[in-house]
Amino acid sequence: MFERQHRVSRLSVAGIVLLSVALAIIPFVATTTGLRQASQIIISVLAVLGVNVATGYGGMISLGHGVFVGVGAFATGYYLDDLSLPWLVAIALGALTAALSGALVGLPALRIKGIHLALVTLGMAIVFQPLSKRFPKITGGVSGQGVEARFDAPNWWPGDSRMASAVYRYLFCVLIVVLALWVTWNIVNSRFGRSMRALRDNDTAAAIYGIDLVSARVTTFAVSAGLAGLCGALQVLLVPFVSQDKFPAQESLVIYASAVVGGLGTIWGPVLGVLARTGVGKAGDLIAGFDGLGPIGDFFSLLDESAFVFGVGLIALTFFFPRGLAGIGRKRQPSE
Amino acid sequence: MDLVLLLQRIFDALFNSAIYSSLALALVIIFRSTGLLNFAQGEMATFTAYIAFVLLAGPQPRLTGGGLAGLIPGVPFTVPLAIVGAVLCGMAAGAATERALIRPLGGASDLALVNITIGLLLATNSLMAQWWGTGPRIFPAIFPSGAGQHFTILGARLRYSTVGVWIVLLSVLILLILLLRHTRVGLAFRAVSISPSNAELVGVRVGPTLMYGWAMASGFGALAACLSANSVLLEPNMMLRVLVYAFAAATLGGLDSPKGALVGGLIIGLSQTLIPAYVPFIGFELSVLPALLAMVLILLIRPAGLYGTKRIERV
Repeated sequence: MFERQHRVSRLSVAGIVLLSVALAIIPFVATTTGLRQASQIIISVLAVLGVNVATGYGGMISLGHGVFVGVGAFATGYYLDDLSLPWLVAIALGALTAALSGALVGLPALRIKGIHLALVTLGMAIVFQPLSKRFPKITGGVSGQGVEARFDAPNWWPGDSRMASAVYRYLFCVLIVVLALWVTWNIVNSRFGRSMRALRDNDTAAAIYGIDLVSARVTTFAVSAGLAGLCGALQVLLVPFVSQDKFPAQESLVIYASAVVGGLGTIWGPVLGVLARTGVGKAGDLIAGFDGLGPIGDFFSLLDESAFVFGVGLIALTFFFPRGLAGIGRKRQPSE
Repeated sequence: MDLVLLLQRIFDALFNSAIYSSLALALVIIFRSTGLLNFAQGEMATFTAYIAFVLLAGPQPRLTGGGLAGLIPGVPFTVPLAIVGAVLCGMAAGAATERALIRPLGGASDLALVNITIGLLLATNSLMAQWWGTGPRIFPAIFPSGAGQHFTILGARLRYSTVGVWIVLLSVLILLILLLRHTRVGLAFRAVSISPSNAELVGVRVGPTLMYGWAMASGFGALAACLSANSVLLEPNMMLRVLVYAFAAATLGGLDSPKGALVGGLIIGLSQTLIPAYVPFIGFELSVLPALLAMVLILLIRPAGLYGTKRIERV
């Protein structure tokens, strides 16, 4: 089913306005550390968006997008320090490297489908950590390594304090994420996006209508991995340190869970998913901060573990809101 | 090539083989009857190993961290009894999972089923980390596994624990086969595995039968976790990598073939020990990579595996 996605509802307009106001206020109220954390949360939308493209629009379940985030981060670090490339080139190449690795995964995805693809990508997520320890020159081995290059504000930028640089990095990240959302929105509504969704719904029928399955699947996976890689590249920009211990299998699964919780196959799903992940974590912090709750407090400290909440959330949403948070207001049932 | 060393490595591998076979069996039993891959199988199994640990050690404050697990009454059990208790808990948990999370969905899409099992995996994993901490714990050995406790065959050492694990696995398997061949429940389960709708038409109650299937599978998973917890140390991520090996084993054997799970577990266990020994780059930690590659290759070239049923896609 191809639903028309061109009309923007009143609810999403309100959401966009609220979100923009929040994004505009943050630099004025946050500390440098707070601003960096906010930027990290904002760029994590990219990884979730990547899963959304592969799984939500492309119908290929990916439980291993943390791997592409990792590839993007390691590659960007390598391009910056070992090849001394400028930042913008390194970021673009980092995302491109992740996209290429995604295309490699997309190739077997031609034959491996559905639950079997989920299996393979889960395996990939589990293998990534030990594998990246094997390339210490690029990944820093077990303990990781620092990246020499710094992403500082250019000369024309007003102020040269640490805060001014932090604001510059923050705005840069916001800009990239907004651009990525806009480009993705256009891709999924283009001719290619329609063939992607046709593949998701019935690949045999899509092939009969003349869609090239090979190129469509591989491109979808490449785009989706490229988005995740961009997230990894921006992580290096915010914290110039790469390490394998940021990419355990659970991270991949939480990224996947965020995409599902937010709403697969919707453009705002990833944003909602990341907001939910952040909100739940903050709520858990608050409640666990109270003393004297005894076992109840211990229980609530579980909320601090976004993995636990997202595990339970994944199950609950599958039962009650199969279209995720983005689909709660809508009447139409999922077209699966 | 040193033949004694090779034999020694094969003997060492047999222990892991038994563990992979038994977890692969758990995966196969569920896939065969429900058509879903239970990604949470490993975490559910680890959870039962912790239950065995609590049963053995009692509710010490340092062990339970003062959380809800402190409410479980601890009785000083002997090791085998604790494992039996854990397996029973695992079976109950498996049955409950089927009843509460899988049956109400009623044959939903792959995506929904993946979501449920991944949700379970994430929730169980962080629950364990919260209750028992992420630090590894020493799980007592069930079989004598001291320095001198082994048979010597052609100069290579075959440990008692390896023999013991295989004896347990094979006797449980024989029990399973007897159950499937000679009881009404077994007959019903075989019917449901072949065709749920036809089984229902001849009066088999599909739901409860699947529930027994899940209980059986989770029992195998629990057994795998409890038997391996001594050698790999008990920690929340204990079964994550073992799950890849078990999935590789199940895929190699054919995802719907119990015999395949056994053979696949043997092959994957052997290759896990032999490949790193002869290919230096792989090393011990990366030995999970060949298993993953094998899984991908099998799915690409021969999705039915060695003994699985070939699936025909209808348009």
